[in-house]
Amino acid sequence: MKKILLSVLLSAPLWVLGQGFQVNLQGQKQIGMAGAGSALALDEASVFFNPGAVSFLEKNSISAGVNPLLFKSAFQRTGSNVTEDVKNKIAPPFEFYAVWGPKSNRWKLGLGVYTPFGGLVDWGDNWSGKYALTSLNLKAIYVQPTLSVKITDQIGIGAGFVYNHGDVNLQRALPVNYPDGRSGKATLDGTGKGYGWNAGIYIKTLSNVTFAIVHKSKVVTKLEAGSAEFDVPNSLRTSFPSGNTFNAELPLPATTSLGIGIPLSKSTLLAFDASWVQWHVYQDLSFDYATNTPALADTKSARNYRDGSSFKLGINHQASDKLALRAGVGYAFSPVQDGYVTPEAPDADRYILSAGAGYAFTPKFEVNASFFFEDVKSRKQKNIETGLDGTFKTLVYAPGISLTYKW
Amino acid sequence: MVGGFQMRKYTFNWFLAAVILLAAACKPDIDTAVATSAGQANFSKYIAVGNSLTSGFADGGLYLEGQKVAYPNLIAAQMATVGGGSFTSPFFTDAQANGSGYLTLSALINGSPTLTNVTSNLAYRDAAGRLTKYTGEVQNIGIPGMRVDLAFAAPFGAANPYLERLLTDSQVGTVSYFQFIQGRNHTFFSLWLGNNDALGYATNGGVTTDATNVLTDKSTFALLYSNLVNALTVGGAKGVVATIPDVTAIPYFNTVTVAALLNAAKAINPAAAAIYIQTGTNTVRAATAEDLIRLPFQSAGLFGVPNASGLPYGLHPLNPIVNSWVLDKDEIIKVKDYVISYNSTIKSLADSKGLAIADTYSYLNQVKTGVVVQGVGINSSFITGGAFSLDGVHLTPRGNAVIANVFIDAINGKYGSNMPTVNITEYRGVKFPN
Repeated sequence: MKKILLSVLLSAPLWVLGQGFQVNLQGQKQIGMAGAGSALALDEASVFFNPGAVSFLEKNSISAGVNPLLFKSAFQRTGSNVTEDVKNKIAPPFEFYAVWGPKSNRWKLGLGVYTPFGGLVDWGDNWSGKYALTSLNLKAIYVQPTLSVKITDQIGIGAGFVYNHGDVNLQRALPVNYPDGRSGKATLDGTGKGYGWNAGIYIKTLSNVTFAIVHKSKVVTKLEAGSAEFDVPNSLRTSFPSGNTFNAELPLPATTSLGIGIPLSKSTLLAFDASWVQWHVYQDLSFDYATNTPALADTKSARNYRDGSSFKLGINHQASDKLALRAGVGYAFSPVQDGYVTPEAPDADRYILSAGAGYAFTPKFEVNASFFFEDVKSRKQKNIETGLDGTFKTLVYAPGISLTYKW
Repeated sequence: MVGGFQMRKYTFNWFLAAVILLAAACKPDIDTAVATSAGQANFSKYIAVGNSLTSGFADGGLYLEGQKVAYPNLIAAQMATVGGGSFTSPFFTDAQANGSGYLTLSALINGSPTLTNVTSNLAYRDAAGRLTKYTGEVQNIGIPGMRVDLAFAAPFGAANPYLERLLTDSQVGTVSYFQFIQGRNHTFFSLWLGNNDALGYATNGGVTTDATNVLTDKSTFALLYSNLVNALTVGGAKGVVATIPDVTAIPYFNTVTVAALLNAAKAINPAAAAIYIQTGTNTVRAATAEDLIRLPFQSAGLFGVPNASGLPYGLHPLNPIVNSWVLDKDEIIKVKDYVISYNSTIKSLADSKGLAIADTYSYLNQVKTGVVVQGVGINSSFITGGAFSLDGVHLTPRGNAVIANVFIDAINGKYGSNMPTVNITEYRGVKFPN
C-alpha cells in the first residue's frame, strides 16, 4: 500500500514549472527535511505547511527561529573571462509560530509570521550588468492567524488568513554620465501590502500513513507611492524630477502542495512533498510613475514566468528521547523561461540538500537547528529586454536555529 | 568542569569558523575557455590603420581622453590576454591633454544643447595650427581626415596637422600615409579607412570644393584599397578590415530634420508651410523628409533670418537654405551608392586575402534603429543615443567599446581566437552638465 502510493506520486508527470523569489525556510524541522512536511503534524510550523495538521498537534507551543541566508551568485558576461560575484550579504528569513487550543477540544488556533518570498542580491555599483540592476532587497512578511479543526480522528482541516507586508528596494545604474564620467542611478523604494489565505487538509490513515493537500493563495502585493529617486546630472533634472513616486504590483504566486508522510518505524518518519507554484501570475514588472516626462515613461518589463514546481523528500529520525536527526533532498524547477532570467532573480532549476537536528532539553523546551543548501544550476542567458548576456551560477547556504516552548 | 565548559566553547567556535569558511570557500564557479587562445592569429604586434575613428577623435577634436579609448586601444587591451604585445599611440601629454581642443556640452535647456569649445591645455605649436610633434613608435596610426585617395598623396602630410605631427621634418610633404604605415614588422593589423572618401562629400552638403570633399571614384577606390591591403598583408600578416558606415546612419544628418525646422517656424509664424532648399542641381524646392540637413545648421544662426528683401532664410523660395547645408535626396542616393560600392570592394578584397571583416556598415544600421547591449540602450540619436559624440559623427567611449566588440567578434570568428570582448558598461556616453 505504502509503496504503491509513493510510486503514484513519483510517477506523476513533472509539472512544468519553481522558485524565483520563493524562500523555502519556514520551519526548522522541515528545513532539515529539505522543506517537506505538509503531511506531518510535526510542530507549530504546520500553521504554514498545512493548517489542517495543526489540530493534530498534541501540545500548545510557541517557537521562533531564524535562518541567515547567504545567496552567492556569480555572473560571467558572454565573451568575458571575468567572473563577478555578488557581495556577501546576509538575508534574514525568520519564522514565528504559536499554536493554542484547549486540550479536550477538537480545534486549535494558530498564528504564523514568516517570510515566504524575498530576495537580497547586491552586485555592486560597477559590475557589467549595472544598467540592468545593481541591487534588489525584497521582503515579504506574511502574518497568518489560523483555525484548525479535527473533523474526525482521521481528518483535520484548517485555514488561515494571510496579510502580507512587502518591502522592495531596487537599484540600478542609469546610462547617463556626469562630467566626471560616472553614471546616474535610479533607486525605487516602497512598501506595500496584500491579502490571501492558506488552507489545508490532513488525513491520517489507519496504517498511520498521512496525506496532505494544501493550497496557499496568491497574494497580490500593491506598492503605493513608493519613492522613485533619480540621481542624474542637473541638466537632466527636468526629465527625472525630484520627489517622484511610483505605484507597482508584485503578484506572489499561489502554491498547491500534495504531501505524504510514511512512518518507516516507530522512530523514523519519511515525508514527501510535491508543490506546484503558480508563478504564471508574474507576467510583468510594471512601474507607474506619478510624474512622467518624455524621458521617464511608465515601464512594463515582461517577466512571463511560467509555473514552477518542487519535489522534496525528507526523513526525521528520533535517535533518542531527546535527540532528533533530519535530512532531506529536493529538486525544484525554475519558473523563469529562457530570455527572462534577470540579475534580480538569476534563477534556474536547483538541487536542495539539507540536514538538521533537534534537542529537547526538557519536555517543554526544545532547540532545533538546520543547514539548508541549494545548488542552482548554471544558466547561460541573454535577456530579451536588457540584452544582458552571460552565465549565472548560484549557491545558497542557510544555517538556522529555532527555540520552542511547549505546554 | 571548567575544562568541559571551555571545550564546548571551542567546539562552538570551531563550528562557526567552519561554517563561515565553507560559505566563503564554496563560491560558485563558472568555467570559461575565453582568453586562452589567439587561434591562427598572432597578436604580438598589432597596428591600426585608419582615420579619425581609429585615432580616437571625438567631440570635434582629438584629445587625450578620446585617444585612450579609441577602439584599437580597447582591442589591443583585449589582445593582451591572448599573447598580444604592447600597443603604442601618439598620445598628447598631460600638459597638452586637450590636443586640438574639443566640444563640451555646457548646457541643455529644454532639450536644446549649448556646445562650448575647450581652449585650455591645447597642443598647438604655432599660430598656423600645427600640433606638437610626437616622436617614437606608433601602432595606433589613425589620422583624422585620412582618406583612401589622400593616403597616396605625399603633400597631404604637410596639409594635415595630425599626420604632420607624426612625421619628421624631412618626411613632411615627401612621405605619403601609404608609405608611412609600411615597414613596421606588424603581425596583425586593422584597416578602417574610406569613410571620408564618401563622408567628406556628404558633410559638405554634396558640394566638392577641394580634395577633402571629393567623392572618390569607385575604381580608383578599388585600386588604392587593394594597394593598402597588399602592403599590410606583406609577410603573411593577418588582419581585420572594416566596412564603411552609411553616412545617413549618423546623428550629423538626422538631428536637424525638415519637420523640426518647420515646427520651429510654425511656432513663430503659424502660416509657415514649407522649408525651402537649394539642391545639388541648383534648383529650389520645398524640402521633404528625404532631404537631410547638416547638424551645425542648428547653431549657425541663419534659419529664419530675413535677407535684404525681408524674406526669411529657408522659408521662402527666394531665400532657400543653400546647397552646402543640405544633403538632398538625390545626393543621398549617390553617396549611398558609392558606399555600397566601396564596401563590396572591401569585402571582396578581404575575402581574397582571408581577412576578417568587421561589418560596421551593418552594425551602425542596427544602432540607427536602436540596440540594447548589457542593459544599455544605444541608438544614433544626438547626445542621448550614447554612441555618438558631440560632433554627431565620431564615437563616444561607449560607441568605441561597442565597435571594438564588432572587430573582436569578427577576429575571433575568422581566426578561431577567443579574445575577450570589451565590457561596454565601463565606458561613458556623452557627459551631461551637472
